[in-house]
Amino acid sequence: MAKLADALEEELKAIFSGDTPWVTIVWDDPVSLQNYVTYVFMELFGYSKAKATELMLKVHNEGKAIVSTGSREEMEHDVARLHEYGLWATLQRGDQI
Amino acid sequence: MAATEGFKRHGAHTYLAHFEASEKEVLLNLVEQIIELLAERVDHGHEDPLAALVGITSHDSPPEDEVLHRLLPNAYADDVDAAEFRRYTESTLRGKKQAHAMSIRMMLKASPEGDVELDHKGANDWLGGLNDIRLALGVRLKIENNNYEHLELLSPDDPLRGVYAVYSWLGWLQETLLDALMDEVSE
Repeated sequence: MAKLADALEEELKAIFSGDTPWVTIVWDDPVSLQNYVTYVFMELFGYSKAKATELMLKVHNEGKAIVSTGSREEMEHDVARLHEYGLWATLQRGDQI
Repeated sequence: MAATEGFKRHGAHTYLAHFEASEKEVLLNLVEQIIELLAERVDHGHEDPLAALVGITSHDSPPEDEVLHRLLPNAYADDVDAAEFRRYTESTLRGKKQAHAMSIRMMLKASPEGDVELDHKGANDWLGGLNDIRLALGVRLKIENNNYEHLELLSPDDPLRGVYAVYSWLGWLQETLLDALMDEVSE
């Protein structure tokens, strides 16, 4: 129960502080190689090969995937780094997906 | 153009490749075009030198050129947010992309024999730079939704056929470098 209460508290805090999480989305592009996309996720986010591969496949099969979550500033930083490596990324509020 | 064996790992963090003179020439030509293309998007009409100094650009709309647009995409779906973000970040992004391309140029020019030796950072520069070239060629080749049929059917004298061959070769080259890097990561 303690865990649930913690989660609820976090949620309520986010609602009342206006601190809605933002998300970074990577969109499918037919040019970037699958291995390249996986590698970039590992390098930029420190994800394991398994997690990076799973995200890459989600982008490929579903057209997009959320690759990171955090504050707006953090997501702007992530999008800038993904753009540096040529991935097609955008950020948006997490509650507007 | 398949004389090279692509990249191979050598030791813990070194990646080696040998390029024939013709391959080197093609690669150099492409990275120089990318550098030039990015440089074309200069900041004009800066009234505020301080803004220029801290990297704020005069651009708040995406490039009209389709290739530049793909290299410097919008960060937000919303136009107002996208413009604001672009104003503060585009010049940094352009600089980083140019740095990747320049790193490739420098490594190719450093060896008259065509032997390239990369460390981890150099490998990342090459991956990013090669991807930018492929993105640029991909726009010109109209590569969409993994559909290559229109390219397979090009007549032998169509100049796009050569472009497609280069595009495929760059993908293969990038893949050999990725294999070498991932091999290390999985250990």
